[in-house]
Amino acid sequence: MLSLPEHVNTMNVSVIKKSLASGCIPVIVSVNMPYKILARVYGREGIDPAMWYVIDAVTNYSGGDTTPNPHVRFITTPSNLTDMGIAITEMLKVIPGTEKCIVFDSVSMLLIHTPTVTASKFLHFVINKLKILDVAGIFLCVEKGLDPVVLSQMTAFVDKIVDFESMDKTAREK
Amino acid sequence: MTGVLDISGDHLFDAVFHAIQTGIFILDYQTHTIVDINPLALKILGYKKEEVVGKVCHEFICPSKVGSCPITDLHKTIDNSEKEVIHATGKRIPVLKTQVTVKIQDRDYIIESFTDFSDHMKAENQKVVLIGVLTDAMSRICRPLELTRMNLQIVADQIKTGEFDPEEIRMELQIQANNIDQMIKNLEELNASALKEQTEIPPEFREFLLRK
Repeated sequence: MLSLPEHVNTMNVSVIKKSLASGCIPVIVSVNMPYKILARVYGREGIDPAMWYVIDAVTNYSGGDTTPNPHVRFITTPSNLTDMGIAITEMLKVIPGTEKCIVFDSVSMLLIHTPTVTASKFLHFVINKLKILDVAGIFLCVEKGLDPVVLSQMTAFVDKIVDFESMDKTAREK
Repeated sequence: MTGVLDISGDHLFDAVFHAIQTGIFILDYQTHTIVDINPLALKILGYKKEEVVGKVCHEFICPSKVGSCPITDLHKTIDNSEKEVIHATGKRIPVLKTQVTVKIQDRDYIIESFTDFSDHMKAENQKVVLIGVLTDAMSRICRPLELTRMNLQIVADQIKTGEFDPEEIRMELQIQANNIDQMIKNLEELNASALKEQTEIPPEFREFLLRK
């Protein structure tokens, strides 16, 4: 899903709300905001903290508190793609229920930490894994922030590219 | 000189043939054997004249093109194209080659002239690399900088609300500082790859970046 840079966080909240509204438990893979901040942001939006999970790649990276929490899996740094891949698999296993989805926030920020080619391979791996597990995945990106190589590969792997900006305003805010 | 071609009495031809800064082969039209070769062609290929004259052209200047000679098989009267010649060491040298048919003393010959294209190819490869670096710089530095600027603005707004505790604000600022550090490293890495000489660029990657 693509948005303007200034709407990335709005897009994130919108996607989480829509997932929950459709009965799907979201697992946020965050390479941008630490868990505590996500909790505050979602709390302000009335999102129940018991209803979402996070794979947090930035709390440890910022020297923050990584006390174990059943809703959080901490990764050392956003460049640690091996641990990120393992965490996604394990988290999906432990979450109760059958309806779950992965929300990746964001592909654009991941590219700070890893070369384009590596990021592209990793995303291919994650998308394949999600297809095998029959789990939906939503990959948030900044519009025009993607290398053409990554975008063309993702276009081939994903089912649909959604432009957040072209969704009507009420649909975005719901 | 071996073969049937004998124009050694033509002093003007001799002078041009030996001094011209273009490699020239003269081939027998029927057999494709090399009848004569000028000094620059020998220099580019790294052979002595006696190692080349009397041999078939495919071994030196038309690699992998047996049966598809533009002149005798495809029936063109003149052909200009980017090709490769094979150096004595086995190395393939990119050349711009022209083939044309001529009649000398009632016999048909193919004149092949070529210029070494290596420097141009190097420059072309470097251009592809630089386009790749710029594309990467956009996604690994420019867009992330936009997001970082926006994140810092969000942090400033969060401070104003008074809802966030100092440790949360510190973490957010630390993430942005670490990201900027990483972007500086990315820039250094991209700079290093731009300076590195690239000899082999996969054709698909070249076409993709140049949007041919």
